[in-house]
Amino acid sequence: MILPRSSRPETVLALLVSGIVAVLVLPPLLAVVFAGMGAGFAPLRQPQVILNTLFFGLATTACALLIGGALALALLPGVPGRGILERLVVMPLYLTPLLTAMGWNWLASPHSGLLNLVLHAVFGPWATINAVSLGGVVLVSALALAPLPYLLISDALRAFDPALLEAGRVHGAAPNLVFRRIVLPLLLPAGLASAVLLCVQSIGLFSVPAVLGIPAGFHVATTEIFQLLENYPPQIPEATAWGVLLLGTSALLTLAQAALLRRRSFVTITGKAFRPGARIARARLARAVLAWIYVALATVLPLIALFWAASSTFVTANPKLMRFTLRHFSFVLFTYPKTWLAAGNSVVLGALTAIVVCLLGLAVSWVVLRGRGSGRGALDQLSMVPLTMPAMVFALGLLWVYVRVPLPIYGTVAILLIAYATHYLPFGVRTTSAALRQLHPELEEAARVSGASWLRTMRRITLPLIQPTVLAAWILLFVMAMQEVSSSILLYTSHSIVLSVAVFDLWENGNQSDVAALGFVQLAASFLVVTVVLGVRQRRGLA
Amino acid sequence: MTTLESLRAVRRAVSVDALSVSHGPIRAVRDVTFAAQPGEVVTLLGPSGCGKTTTLRAIAGLEFPQQGRITIDGRTVFDAGRGVNLPPEQRGLAMVFQSYAIWPHMTVFENVAFSLRARRIARAELASTVQRSLDLVGLGALGERPATRLSGGQQQRVALARSIAGDPGVILLDEPLSNLDAQLRLTMRAEFKALQRRLGLTAIYVTHDQEEALVLSDRIVVMRDGVIEQVGTPAELHQAPHSRFVAEFLGVRNILPVVGAEAGQATVVLPNGTRLTTRGPIPDGPACVCFRPISVRLSPRPEPGAHPAELVGATYLGDLMQYDLRAGDMAICARGLPRGDLTEGTPVFWSVPPEACFLVTA
Repeated sequence: MILPRSSRPETVLALLVSGIVAVLVLPPLLAVVFAGMGAGFAPLRQPQVILNTLFFGLATTACALLIGGALALALLPGVPGRGILERLVVMPLYLTPLLTAMGWNWLASPHSGLLNLVLHAVFGPWATINAVSLGGVVLVSALALAPLPYLLISDALRAFDPALLEAGRVHGAAPNLVFRRIVLPLLLPAGLASAVLLCVQSIGLFSVPAVLGIPAGFHVATTEIFQLLENYPPQIPEATAWGVLLLGTSALLTLAQAALLRRRSFVTITGKAFRPGARIARARLARAVLAWIYVALATVLPLIALFWAASSTFVTANPKLMRFTLRHFSFVLFTYPKTWLAAGNSVVLGALTAIVVCLLGLAVSWVVLRGRGSGRGALDQLSMVPLTMPAMVFALGLLWVYVRVPLPIYGTVAILLIAYATHYLPFGVRTTSAALRQLHPELEEAARVSGASWLRTMRRITLPLIQPTVLAAWILLFVMAMQEVSSSILLYTSHSIVLSVAVFDLWENGNQSDVAALGFVQLAASFLVVTVVLGVRQRRGLA
Repeated sequence: MTTLESLRAVRRAVSVDALSVSHGPIRAVRDVTFAAQPGEVVTLLGPSGCGKTTTLRAIAGLEFPQQGRITIDGRTVFDAGRGVNLPPEQRGLAMVFQSYAIWPHMTVFENVAFSLRARRIARAELASTVQRSLDLVGLGALGERPATRLSGGQQQRVALARSIAGDPGVILLDEPLSNLDAQLRLTMRAEFKALQRRLGLTAIYVTHDQEEALVLSDRIVVMRDGVIEQVGTPAELHQAPHSRFVAEFLGVRNILPVVGAEAGQATVVLPNGTRLTTRGPIPDGPACVCFRPISVRLSPRPEPGAHPAELVGATYLGDLMQYDLRAGDMAICARGLPRGDLTEGTPVFWSVPPEACFLVTA
């Protein structure tokens, strides 16, 4: 990095931030690559798992993209209940893939699923929905991941200049043609970004294949890594070889996306609201129904199943056998020894992760957007690397590094904090840089010229102005970190167990009702912290 | 150096010496040298991309120049040779930004008080200083208003109040009026000029508007492609631009290429053979002859020394009429009071007094 000669605080910050990001990202990445290369070609002995992973990734991406894109178009202005629907369709992000998968297991396992019991009673035994299957894994994953493309594509739609559509109409194109020839091509970058993100997310997804795939004999790379490490002795080199495979695929996808988008430039942003064409406005009711169906499938039904499983004596739909009880809640709250330890760890980790990611993300975006050194582009890209690294692969790399490094990190919550902070860093950078971009640099420069030091300018001008965005990011990060499974499952020990791992642990032991109760505890803990944070903010806002 | 010159050098408020700023491969400012005396308004004038704003930002400490030296009130704030580049907050300046940069999360009062708080001024003095600054820009009653509830002109005034509150040695202004509508721009221009004279402010003012520059400045620095094209008082620049670029930029409408000159005299030959007597001297190399529309004398009849042309357009401008003339390939623009003896599409005869014809390098 070429730096200005004067050693101003900005310069120190740039060096510090680059150093931290490099230390967080590079060692685990390099460890996975080198260790995995050394392990030979273990995955090649199981071509079926490779094919499964690819099929799972592609099918989930296609389904989730379809669902998310349809939701984004369905929720354009004019649809009744848009405000509440916009919030409800992103609920799966909070519910987590793990709980969604468990919910669907209780809803649609072939013999005891709630929906199937109802269907059997009404239509007879031929009417069965089976979630514990290849199709189930793909569809449930797609339901759980659909908010991601929804958010990206609806952002792109929001930034659309309505004049682009109006120009199409004025020049004689029917609404249909405008949609096909103008809307869809302009959504291409957001669609492509969504597809790549979904591919990377789904091949790195562990919880849904573990819950719905393993019992059906459907194995993918992440479940393979998990089982290789569960074995005694753990087969770290083979697991790492799978990690390299996932990493390589993700990296290829990301590079392909960059190469595809480099050839075209899209500037559609003028900041006005999107006013939809007549045809989109006409199908209002159908659009609302579509969104409500998604909400029911992705959130309401799994939550009902979760509640039902947690509060009935045993899992049945037969009204004569059904008894409601608080036994399972009482078990997880007072008897099960891991609950409070895990809850404490989860809340602390969630809060710390969110703070670290917000601060580090802000520092990175500030250096990249406002700094002067010529290494800024490199820092930006380095901070985005975790986006291409599935959480489980990153955890493998961390294991490899910190087992060897003589620091008291392995086996503590610290290693989980490192894993979470690195994994969510791209999210922190993206959100804070979006906020900083909207802040005219002259607002900061005016403070500097008025005699405020860099630090005072940050404290008095920059931070207060972007505080709403940072708080929103903090909340989402907290909730996401509270539910992280894929890397936690490799890095936890009995002292550093977290709620999501405890849930999975109970699941593996087959305590279905207790799992559901603990899942509720997990949701309640997130909800409680978020409510408190928002409440404190509101009170301070009034004061 | 005479005593007077050395005295001036000491009293110099801002001096910029051989400044060069590059943005990556782009050399935004090259070898720029100028100075502002105390109480003087110096304007950096030029089209967008000429380096005027970069120069201003370098004075403020918001750029990292590659070469040169900048002193403010005799203190070196930037010196490439010695590796000195003071951060903005240590330069004792104030700046009015193009976007106003009014902090939206503060009240008007807090915006103006910011620089005083940063300099740890006592509370009692702070309140009275802020109030005085707000009174000076006519916003005395709006101190408690949130900064987001201000009109464009009010924001401009807050920015001005903020910049004078800290009693800075020098105020830098970056196209402060360009975001206002035409009417308000005239009002604010007059107010700023009055305030500047009253407080004896030293100001460096960046604009691309030649009229603004002529009205406000004691001296104008015309910039082009990162270098200084000409420096002078408004009168000097207006009456004797050196180059075609400066003449164009200062709104000279008639700029005609010179193809020949008659030795010894200041008479030049235009492409269509017309001979014009100018006030001279003829510069080296390719030259153009310039005259303002208001200097052109028109007549419907041939007169001695007048040149024939066709009147192709007469446009009503308000107080004046604009007459567009064509003689072969040559277009000439004249302005004057409306008159009844000139008709569109008829021949017309024009002449320019030699003292109104000046020569510039092409």
